[in-house]
Amino acid sequence: MLTMVERFSGPALEIMAGAKNAAAHIPPLWSLEATVAVNPYVGQAGEPLQVAAARLARVAGVRTVPERAHYKAKFVANELSVADLEAGLAEVPELAATVDDLIAAMDKTVVAPETLPTLADLAEEVSDINWPDFVAERIGHWAGGHYDTGQALWPAPKERAWLSWRSFAQRDLTPEIFGLTGFASRVASMSMSARGALTKCAEDMGITADACESYFHTLLMRLGGWAQLASGEAFRANLKGDGNNDITDLLTAKLVFEAALLARYKDKIGCEWERVLQEHAQPIVPSEDDLIDAALQAAADHAAARVLDQTLAQPVTAKDDLPNVQAAFCIDVRSEVFRRALEASGDGIETIGFAGFFGIAAAHHGFASDVLETRGPVLINPGATSAATDPQDSDMLTRVAKRVTRAWGRFRLAAVSSFAFVEATGPLYLGKLVRDSLAQKHPSLGVGPAPALSDSITLEDRIGMAATILSAMSMKSGFAKVVLLAGHGAGVVNNPHASALQCGACGGHAGDVNARLVALLLNDADVRTGLVEKGIEVPAETVFLAGLHDTVTDEVRLYEDDLPAGHTQVATIASLKQALSMAAKVTRTERSARLPRATDQAAVMERAKNWSETRPEWGLAGCSAFIAAPRSRTMGRSLDGRSFLHSYDWRQDKNFQVLELILTAPVVVASWISLQYYGSSVAPDAFGAGNKLLHNVTGGIGVVEGNGGVLRGGLPWQSVHDGENFMHDPLRLSVAIEAPREAITDILNRHAGVAALFDNGWLKLFAMDDEGRLGWRYTGSGEWVSLRGDKDAPLIAAE
Amino acid sequence: MITALPLLAPVFFAIIGFVYMRSEMPRGSAQLRLGEYAGLAAMVVSLGTLVLLIANGSATSPLIGAAEMGFAARIDAVSVTMLMLVSFIGWVVMRFAVTYTDGEAKQTRFLGWLSLGLASVLLLVTAGNLIQLIIGWGAVGLCVNRLLLTYPERAAAQRAARKKALCSMASDGGLILGAFALAAAYGTADIATIIEAARAGEGGGAAILAAGLLAISALFKSAQVPTHGWLTEVMEAPTPVSALLHAGVVNAGGFLLIRFADVMLLAPGVLSVLVILGGFSALFGGLVMLTQPSVKTSLAWSTVAQMGFMILQCGLALFPLALLHIVAHSLYKAHAFLASGGAVAQVASIRRPGPVAIPNGKAVLKAFAIALAIYGTLGLLLGIDGKSAQAIALGAVLVMGVAYLLAQGLADHAPEVLTRRMAAYSVATTVSYFALQSIAIWLTTGALPATPAPGPLQWALMVLTILSFGTVALAQATFPNWASHPAAQGLRVHLSNGFYLNAVFDRLTGGWAARSR
Repeated sequence: MLTMVERFSGPALEIMAGAKNAAAHIPPLWSLEATVAVNPYVGQAGEPLQVAAARLARVAGVRTVPERAHYKAKFVANELSVADLEAGLAEVPELAATVDDLIAAMDKTVVAPETLPTLADLAEEVSDINWPDFVAERIGHWAGGHYDTGQALWPAPKERAWLSWRSFAQRDLTPEIFGLTGFASRVASMSMSARGALTKCAEDMGITADACESYFHTLLMRLGGWAQLASGEAFRANLKGDGNNDITDLLTAKLVFEAALLARYKDKIGCEWERVLQEHAQPIVPSEDDLIDAALQAAADHAAARVLDQTLAQPVTAKDDLPNVQAAFCIDVRSEVFRRALEASGDGIETIGFAGFFGIAAAHHGFASDVLETRGPVLINPGATSAATDPQDSDMLTRVAKRVTRAWGRFRLAAVSSFAFVEATGPLYLGKLVRDSLAQKHPSLGVGPAPALSDSITLEDRIGMAATILSAMSMKSGFAKVVLLAGHGAGVVNNPHASALQCGACGGHAGDVNARLVALLLNDADVRTGLVEKGIEVPAETVFLAGLHDTVTDEVRLYEDDLPAGHTQVATIASLKQALSMAAKVTRTERSARLPRATDQAAVMERAKNWSETRPEWGLAGCSAFIAAPRSRTMGRSLDGRSFLHSYDWRQDKNFQVLELILTAPVVVASWISLQYYGSSVAPDAFGAGNKLLHNVTGGIGVVEGNGGVLRGGLPWQSVHDGENFMHDPLRLSVAIEAPREAITDILNRHAGVAALFDNGWLKLFAMDDEGRLGWRYTGSGEWVSLRGDKDAPLIAAE
Repeated sequence: MITALPLLAPVFFAIIGFVYMRSEMPRGSAQLRLGEYAGLAAMVVSLGTLVLLIANGSATSPLIGAAEMGFAARIDAVSVTMLMLVSFIGWVVMRFAVTYTDGEAKQTRFLGWLSLGLASVLLLVTAGNLIQLIIGWGAVGLCVNRLLLTYPERAAAQRAARKKALCSMASDGGLILGAFALAAAYGTADIATIIEAARAGEGGGAAILAAGLLAISALFKSAQVPTHGWLTEVMEAPTPVSALLHAGVVNAGGFLLIRFADVMLLAPGVLSVLVILGGFSALFGGLVMLTQPSVKTSLAWSTVAQMGFMILQCGLALFPLALLHIVAHSLYKAHAFLASGGAVAQVASIRRPGPVAIPNGKAVLKAFAIALAIYGTLGLLLGIDGKSAQAIALGAVLVMGVAYLLAQGLADHAPEVLTRRMAAYSVATTVSYFALQSIAIWLTTGALPATPAPGPLQWALMVLTILSFGTVALAQATFPNWASHPAAQGLRVHLSNGFYLNAVFDRLTGGWAARSR
């Protein structure tokens, strides 16, 4: 392969560094095929809210904190107390204000922030063309083809993003038609190297090193989801140890348009451009309003923690003896409602919270599929390989059936044959229209033959995996007769954002495969024997039963066929089924209060099959807390489906390895989820996916609104708003952990990335005391403050 | 008076439409479902009309109006088919829209415009009088414009709406002038009388002028290239609007040609132009569609192509087949739009069974030969001899389509089971094609004129059609073998931009005008 040796001057290297820094501000995006929640502020994790707010106001013109009226409403409703405001003020020491100032500020309407203009904006002002939209549409048109995964029958050639755009843009005549004369030849004269083109444009445009990061960040924000997708490409490549420069390539394409517009209108916008560059060169400094906003938001977070503490303070119901069934659910906030209902509806059912992949992150092949799915958290590489096989069904025949369907699909779409298709089979769609209008098509969720771990995983490794999983779940003894491992998924139809409702810990897939893999592993007789040597004795009569909780209908599918033949728990499972069915009814009733038009049980169930339903369920909207503690601390109290519940007993956790895992994996995933809802609520234009009514699925990977233009990442408006009110209160997640503070601090010291989230306030950290209440609040840089003055003596940490 | 029954269908939708418009309805209330009930009622009306047609044959209701101008319902195979189609899709769209737009601030108004749009379409398809036809025709354009501006702040929506308004104006103008010409030629506004006279060969020069004007009106209404720009941007409005277009809005152009088939036959020159323009749109739209990565955009280009094919059928005087095409395409495309949210799952499923087997040149030729054999055999068995030359020529398109299906099964790497199944699908497709065509011809006998024997010009056009479609089909089937060529890359870029016709249209009409600040 030909490698180009490029030499760059000092200023050019600074421009490249600026591009790299700007790229680091952009959150990654996953394909909707299997999407996961992403913290849109992940690039700003190293700075506090007020700085991020000032930055995003400048580069994108978006708010990073809710409107003032939001706090006013809370204050009027007594949800926000004076004490909360005081605590909020204390978190923003730069702000010289009193509580009364804050209260007065709630009545002020802050003008929408205005972004610094791009050259396209400046050009629009002096011409008769809407250049910003035009450039967005042109880049979107190319990017849609470039990132297409199979919608178009005639795909764009696969090559590096920059070369692909260059090849497209030097042929595209559209800019010429709109008066950008010579654009195609300008592109054709560009370097084959994106870095060469980038630095050349920057030089021509007089972009200085101190202005470039801020300006490039502005351009990347204008690219919307396309920049995020490119950032995701880099994220995924890095995880595999590869490199990817798509984001710089996209930035360069945008910059080429900017350079061409500057050249075209230089006499009219040249001076203004100089001014813009100077403003970009200024450091980011939060305004007084930014500081007030930050204090108000901190106060709201305090209020939420206060309410959580009150809930935790309620008396506990006494715990039974050894349960008949231990039911493990994902930490997902939707599980909390179901767990509460299940505990209440069945005798002797104990529930456990654990990340829904149950410890096996698998690179998985579905049945008769060549596509490798990552069934595990996206932050880590899969630790196992697996595949679904069916002894009763031939893989080959299923593949043929799928290929026939595919060939038929191509027949439907190809030029010429599409006419034959319509003439011969169009009337069949009468039936499909009736079927779908009457909601008779069932979503396929959690069906399919059992998965199996790859044969290449040795028994020894399997025993090791099993021991790790059980330790991480704090389950080394006291096994019930049946241990249910319930993953979760959402059965919906006709929903491009279906994967956003699935299990985040399973990489945006339903959790059935992982639950079944773990159950099969833990039921394996040889593995059980091996576990004994590791000090974990699972009683012979205990069975691990995989299940899948459908979060739309709350029905739980049990995979009884996976159980070892001749197991002795038929009766226990039968009564478990009854309890599950009762719990489903209770949960649906509780959830229906929040769902529009959900008048009864049937109306909730119906949403799964309704092809016109834009709000099948609320996903994780409303999430506000993460609690890692024994279930006894939270049992019997309603947490409103707003808390991630991770079962954790620090007394069983030697060396705090499990705690380290919790803080670095589930807590980070939960922060991504909570901040995704936050971003999609407060800055829907930048970090939300827009209106579902206008969604146009592009390339099978994402959506655009209407005709095209920017790809839209994040959550749709309908996922955070019920049409009248926000369904998500934008709060920063309160993370409450029952563990010694020293242990927590020690782990944070070793994980700078995680510590940054807490130090800069993107997550709020609390240590629970031995009464199960919020005892201490983390104030950053390893410091804690007691929340109950008289109890300053560190009870837990003393042990 | 019973013959005025079809008029109840538009009346239902109009009343409900005005009820929606009058006041905001509470969210989730039962009243919001009124539009769906209007659809059900319209379906009952359409079935009742079908019974009337079977029992009493074709008829026109007494006129509600004066001086032979006003409202009158036409009952014949054409209007009843369209009435049933539009009522059904109207029901589907209204039912979908109620849930889909739940929580929207202007939900009631949106449902109101949808209902009024459906009322307008029903008015035009049941028209027995030119006045009613014109009123329905114009009202459809107005309603679609309001629906396109569901989110009036969107610049792209304004762009699409402006283009649609221009096309509607041209189309309305064509129809109004065409109506004058018809009135001049036949001295009446009664459509049945006009058709009857035209079938007898009357009309003279004014009839030929009318045919030309109707054709212009139809081309603008059915978004034929280069007036297609608004259609490929219609996803600026919520999904039900895209589905509604296929309930007699975008295909109204074809309906007009079919309605006045007898008049059109008087002007073979006009029909020839339709063959060329329709055929061009069909191929052009079909090729552009291949390059589109967005599902709704791809579907919209497919509509451009399918409408072109339908106009081509009209040009070839295959009016029953054009009617069949309208019905088949409407059902398919309304479903495809409403179900377009499934595109993520659908695209993902394409990749699962592994790479697509690529047929080589030999396999493609073999596929064409087998497809021809299937067509010939079934044609002889099912009676090809009774068919017009035009229908047989059009059958060639089916052969090419089926060949594409077969070629995928004949690729070297395709397992034998796949080959067998593809062959079975091919036979089934061909049988269904023949059967549906025979049914369409049988149902419309009398209502629609028989296809006349082709003259030299028609023969030339048929050869041209077969050659051009054949070239594209061959290129499509051998596509992977040449797509990587650099010249093909340039072609792909220009195709994906629709050869800039829309960009030029936008430039001329100020489509990307700077926003006012």
